[in-house]
Amino acid sequence: MEIIRLENISKIYQDHGIPVQALKDVNLEIDKGDFVVIAGPSGSGKTTLLNIIGSLDIPTEGHVFLERDNLTHKKKRELSAIRLRKIGFIFQAYNLLPVLTALENIEFSMMLLGLPDKERHKKAMKIMEELDIAELANKKPNKMSGGQQQRVAVARAIVNDPLLVLADEPTANLDTKTANGLLDLMQKMNEEKNITFVFSSHDKKVIDRAKKLFILKDGMIVNGN
Amino acid sequence: MFFKIAIRNLLRNKRRTLIILSSIIIGVAATLIYDSINAGMIDQMLVNQINTYYSHIQIHKKGFNDNRLVTSYIPEYKKVEDVLKKQKYITAYSNRVIAFGMLSSANSSAGISMIGIEPEREKRVSDIHKMVIEGRYPSGKLNEILISKRMSEKLEVTLGDKVVAMAADINGKVNSELFRIVGIYRSHTGEFDKVFVYVPIENARTILGIGDNVSEIAVITSSADSTFSYKKQLTNALKDSGYKTADTEVLTYQESLAMIMYLIDIWKQTSIIIYLIIALAVLFGVINTMLMSVFERVNEIGVLMSIGMKNSAIFRMIVLEAFMLGLVGTVVGFIVGILIYLPLSHNGINLGIYSESMSSMGLNNIIYPELNLMVIINSLVVMPLATAVGAFYPARKAIKLQPTDAMRYV
Ligand SMILES: Nc1ncnc2c1ncn2[C@@H]1O[C@H](COP(=O)(O)OP(=O)(O)OP(=O)(O)O)[C@@H](O)[C@H]1O
Ligand SMILES: [Mg+2]
Repeated sequence: MEIIRLENISKIYQDHGIPVQALKDVNLEIDKGDFVVIAGPSGSGKTTLLNIIGSLDIPTEGHVFLERDNLTHKKKRELSAIRLRKIGFIFQAYNLLPVLTALENIEFSMMLLGLPDKERHKKAMKIMEELDIAELANKKPNKMSGGQQQRVAVARAIVNDPLLVLADEPTANLDTKTANGLLDLMQKMNEEKNITFVFSSHDKKVIDRAKKLFILKDGMIVNGN
Repeated sequence: MFFKIAIRNLLRNKRRTLIILSSIIIGVAATLIYDSINAGMIDQMLVNQINTYYSHIQIHKKGFNDNRLVTSYIPEYKKVEDVLKKQKYITAYSNRVIAFGMLSSANSSAGISMIGIEPEREKRVSDIHKMVIEGRYPSGKLNEILISKRMSEKLEVTLGDKVVAMAADINGKVNSELFRIVGIYRSHTGEFDKVFVYVPIENARTILGIGDNVSEIAVITSSADSTFSYKKQLTNALKDSGYKTADTEVLTYQESLAMIMYLIDIWKQTSIIIYLIIALAVLFGVINTMLMSVFERVNEIGVLMSIGMKNSAIFRMIVLEAFMLGLVGTVVGFIVGILIYLPLSHNGINLGIYSESMSSMGLNNIIYPELNLMVIINSLVVMPLATAVGAFYPARKAIKLQPTDAMRYV
């Protein structure tokens, strides 16, 4: 079942008045339960593509469909509601809120959704158990290792049962062992809960696990998977 | 949770928070103290004027205050008295005859406002009897005069000395009368002491040749705050009694003291400018602090946007932080202000070194700061508002950020 479709997406940035073409006529589809990797060298447009899929950025040309719904003319607040309900984000630098504990970080987006206190606490604790990070509940990010922070970030990304999770080079700052552990975890979530993941990476460990692989070069998809 | 986040964000950079917090605390405390001193001064100024001479309500022939003619006595004042006696809200009144003339001693002379009083009744409408510093208050016996310390120095006279008062009567003929100084007073108002002397009302009537008429009736009511409503009631009562009110005027002290009320107004406006300056200083402090804090958190704000927090919620979060700064600063500043205010209001502030100018404004040497509702509202509302408003610009800056700033990790 198709959840994302990009049609003829181009993105041109203006860098001090000089146009930079980051994406050129990109077409792709992502289905429910996919484990997608977008690979390519630095500067090939991976982050740009992910941002456009995640409605954080708008394409210069082309259309993004989320569950067949065209996002092109949506307002800012509509997009942010869509992100809150349907998309989870995992960042290279983890980007947990530093003033909140692990538990609170996970609860935060449920709070934005308006879930009552008790329910979100229960859900957060449950997901932490599943991801084996329950003992981090009351720690602040600066008291956790990178791997631990990224696990909390995964929990935050999936706790609202999103349609898909976007992860921009999630393992780039982690050592091999930790990275593999994290990937195992996400693969497990993909297999057990049918959560759709979309990665950007030039890390072989990540690419090897792809169910679907797109290779970007100079803003164009060069394989037709 | 938003409160928790706001508090923790504020605690992140403790030193910065403390600096802006202390500026708010100082701002609030300073506003409160400054304001209460002002209120105390204004109140004292008015109370002094009321107690020394003006009372709550004065009755004259219409236009008396403008021309001060000897002939401007109250028409049929006994009828007015009859009405005054019947008004429940009037606690006391006293008749006065006023003449302008000269007072001479063997050595010197000075211009005077000679007030002819009924000494016993005057005690109930003014405090002049409490201001006698040498000798005694007139007993009602003819040819006794009460003059100010200042006047006694000018005329180089002391208790028991004789002085001659001169004034023109209703026909323009100058009459004179010999008085013996029985008392010397000092009021809080230098200008007052310069010219006011007190004699028995009969002496004044004789000098002016106005029969048993009076120029002024001073009235004390049960509340100084309700003078305008009492004035209305009294005017109506006079009309109802059949008295011809067309030639008589009933003035509240606010009207009699129009000049002072005007000064007070200017004073209040100056205070507003001072609050504005304090508020503006805090405002810019808050803008600066919150801008720094927003720029330090560009990444986090991007993350908040990515995970679907609405711009309006982010805006509110930042304003909330500033508002809490303002709230805490205001509460602490208010407490600090009160702690400074309490001993001051109890012991007063001695401005004796400015004695001369204080007295020229009708003020005592010791000022007692006063807290009234206005003062409290000013100090409690201005700063939280200034801080919240100061956060608007940084908060707007924050939501103008692009969420992609967070993903683009550097
Ligand atoms: N905001 C921007 N303004 C101008 N140019 C940009 C902007 N963002 C990206 N670019 C340019 O667009 C191109 C694609 O960038 P993008 O960040 O998507 O690549 P990437 O594949 O994610 O690279 P990396 O592997 O280094 O993260 C690059 O040439 C980059 O310089
Ligand atoms: Mg990138």
